[in-house]
Amino acid sequence: MRRTVRQRLTVLGLTAPAYLWLTVAIFLPLSAMFCFSFLSALPLPGRSVSFTLDNYRTIFSKQLYLINTKRSLLLGLHVTLGCIAIGYPAALALAKYVRGRWREAVFLLIVLPFWSNGLVRTFSWTMVLRKDALLDWFVRLFVPDAPSLDLLFSYPAILIGLIHAYVPYMILTCYVSLQAIDDSLIEAARSLGASAFTAFRRIILPLSLPGLVAGTILIFVPVIGSFMEPEILGGKEAIMLGPIIERQFTASANWPLGAALSFVLLAIVLAIFAATWPFLRPHLRDA
Amino acid sequence: MAKVGVILVRGYLALLLLFLYLPITVMIVMAFNQSALYQMPFVFDLKWFAALQDNQKLLDAGFNTVMIALINTVIATTLGTLAALAFARYSFRGKTLLQLLLFPPITIPWLIIGNSMLVMFYWIYLGRGLHAMLLGHVALSLPYVIIVVGARFRSFGTTLEEAAATLGASPWQAFWRITVPIMAPGMVAAALFAFAVSFDQFVISYFLAAPGVTTLPVEIYTAIRKGYTPEINAISTVIIVVSMGLMLLVSRFYRFGGER
Amino acid sequence: MSRVEVDRVSKHYGTVRALDEVSLAFADGEFFGLLGPSGSGKTTLLRAIAGFVEPDSGDIRFDDRPVRDLAVHRREIGMVFQNYALFPHLSVFDNIAFGLSVRHLPVAEIKARVTEILGLVRLAGYEERRPRQLSGGQQQRVALARALVTRPRVLLLDEPLGALDKRLRQQMQIELRQIQREVGITTIFVTHDQEEALTLSDRIAIFNEGRVVQIGAPHAVYERPSSAFAASFLGDANFFAGQVSAEAGRIEADGGRRIATLDALPPAGARITVAVRPEKMLLEPATAPERDTPNRWTGVVKQSVYSGSSITYRVDVGTEIVVFAQNQSAQPLAPGTAVAVTWDPLHSVVVEA
Repeated sequence: MRRTVRQRLTVLGLTAPAYLWLTVAIFLPLSAMFCFSFLSALPLPGRSVSFTLDNYRTIFSKQLYLINTKRSLLLGLHVTLGCIAIGYPAALALAKYVRGRWREAVFLLIVLPFWSNGLVRTFSWTMVLRKDALLDWFVRLFVPDAPSLDLLFSYPAILIGLIHAYVPYMILTCYVSLQAIDDSLIEAARSLGASAFTAFRRIILPLSLPGLVAGTILIFVPVIGSFMEPEILGGKEAIMLGPIIERQFTASANWPLGAALSFVLLAIVLAIFAATWPFLRPHLRDA
Repeated sequence: MAKVGVILVRGYLALLLLFLYLPITVMIVMAFNQSALYQMPFVFDLKWFAALQDNQKLLDAGFNTVMIALINTVIATTLGTLAALAFARYSFRGKTLLQLLLFPPITIPWLIIGNSMLVMFYWIYLGRGLHAMLLGHVALSLPYVIIVVGARFRSFGTTLEEAAATLGASPWQAFWRITVPIMAPGMVAAALFAFAVSFDQFVISYFLAAPGVTTLPVEIYTAIRKGYTPEINAISTVIIVVSMGLMLLVSRFYRFGGER
Repeated sequence: MSRVEVDRVSKHYGTVRALDEVSLAFADGEFFGLLGPSGSGKTTLLRAIAGFVEPDSGDIRFDDRPVRDLAVHRREIGMVFQNYALFPHLSVFDNIAFGLSVRHLPVAEIKARVTEILGLVRLAGYEERRPRQLSGGQQQRVALARALVTRPRVLLLDEPLGALDKRLRQQMQIELRQIQREVGITTIFVTHDQEEALTLSDRIAIFNEGRVVQIGAPHAVYERPSSAFAASFLGDANFFAGQVSAEAGRIEADGGRRIATLDALPPAGARITVAVRPEKMLLEPATAPERDTPNRWTGVVKQSVYSGSSITYRVDVGTEIVVFAQNQSAQPLAPGTAVAVTWDPLHSVVVEA
């Protein structure tokens, strides 16, 4: 069929440029990194390198890496829980209790900082959390002579920064889910004798689960791989996978180890995706 | 709804917005504050903004950032729109796979993408620098462009193009006279998105920056790690105002959160 | 204005047969309705004629010329879509002029023809409006004008009146038919609304599962359905299964009753199904004087539904049947009333099961 051939060529022509670019910039590099993780050292001119599993062996045997991985996963968990605690009620409020112009305006205001420069946002938190800066000034309004909270360069600071950065994500996904729940479902539940709380627990919550799951994944994955926020807000407390990987590529120049670590991280990420794929699929269509 | 409930809801949302905008506001305020140590009380002073003009490194970085963002926008919007067209008009084998492949750039931690680009470009002697950063930025912008333009196209469907065909318009005529004008708002939104993605990009730029060739976010980061200078506040204020301004523009062309 | 011939066209999507060896001939200037349930293939055929669907086998010809290798924009068709597909960024004038401007006609001629057709659809003065400023009926007329102004060979309508409310739809049906007669163009339209098909068409084709089940003038197809599907899809029908009697023109219905018919019958003993339309049956109290017709069954009213101008009865005559009665006496017969149901043997239609 002449037309089908012509169609196939058109499709190829339209999609090839974009996907070729993606291949060169994303997919090939990922494979390259995989290969790199098996090298014994950074291949500089004049130096001979060999293939080895040493990098992986190091990662799985040394306590250091295990601790960091655990701390990263814990950070992911804490940030996600924080985002759910703050974000879900907000999404619920927006979806069910705010209408019209206000809803759009508030929604925009919530999403706006999310799309601004992440580095600058994180930096701005240092202004607030620093010793003798805004937070301390605020506390001293109530309790003069209070010692400085000195929150900067601590784990809570990292938490605050990351939650601040990612909570709009949770609000977005939960909002999409919640908003799809027809009001008549709630009305039906109430007419059948359910209290407002029961209606929430048995109707709204289960139906908004996909949004929660999607938000969880979209937050958990970047957080466990983050290094910028932990380093800026946590300083020495940033004992996590992200900063360690970053160091291999800058300070330590141990690229193969960095590649191996990255790949371990990637494996964790893919495992999470694989486990939660059935929840994600409906959201693909909303995009 | 009960009066108490309304107050609760409004109060909660207000607190949330306060939390979201607090640090940014503080930073902007401090940029105009005389104190070099971010200490109260507040004394209005423009000296940090003035100091920016003499900071050659920051100016160069700023120039690089804008250049890359502009080129990135042109490339990503063009390539992305073409791909979005293919997805909207045709169904073909492998379409779902291609759509799935749009997700790795957005969902895989940028740390991994950044250093894998570094590794690969080193291997093929592409090296680091502006060209490498551009390669990375476009790859990150593409999925957003495709999604935004695709959404716009989907809301109108292919019926309009079919109608044009029944009226005798060749595919070329239909594209220029019907498809492009209707997709224009979506394309503008996608272009602004792409600009913002590149403008704000830190991680990829960080790994692919060469000595002396950096972007603003990378410079800011280095400065933060070394120690504070309030000039950073000033340039950060500029950046954040630009970023948020861009997003406000995007919202004119693209509805976040769907319908009214 | 062209004849259109569809010659054994088939199309499948995976395992689904959307069209199965469909053959139809559309005469020049004919208003032809494609009727059928969702998924029956009628829309697929329309889109195949337009050129959006490529048949797997078979041919489509306009005036004896195969159109297989002609792209949509070269087939010189006019099409009105279900949602009108008016270009939102163009004015009414530019929408209608679109087909003329892609052919690069001179500006003066475009203006003349657009003005003329706006008069025909009674929208003179609306040139500068945008589609979103128009009502549903007005949008429909613009869509029609846009399709007609290029003087196409065939006009294709995809459920054109589906989006309108009942009153407006009836009005548009009349207008549509008038315009078509004036212009004289071969028109093929798709609908699932049987009333619309009956009102507008010169001929109709009933589709089911990718096949044409019956073709003919509305009156012929309605009064003499050839299958149980046609009988129940177009209008309503009471079905009686039975055996051909030894007596000429008689059928022994299961359950013991006999039916008289004027249709040709297979030999005695053969299994057969007869359809009788509810409006052809006359319902009277059992006490009324007997009428002179061999088809007279007694029974009891089970339910009467009052719909203003007519009443629908469910009657138990051994099996349950439906009877439509005109609301002449304003007094529906109550459930439980003993009644007699009679009808003319002419209206006992033999159908394939």
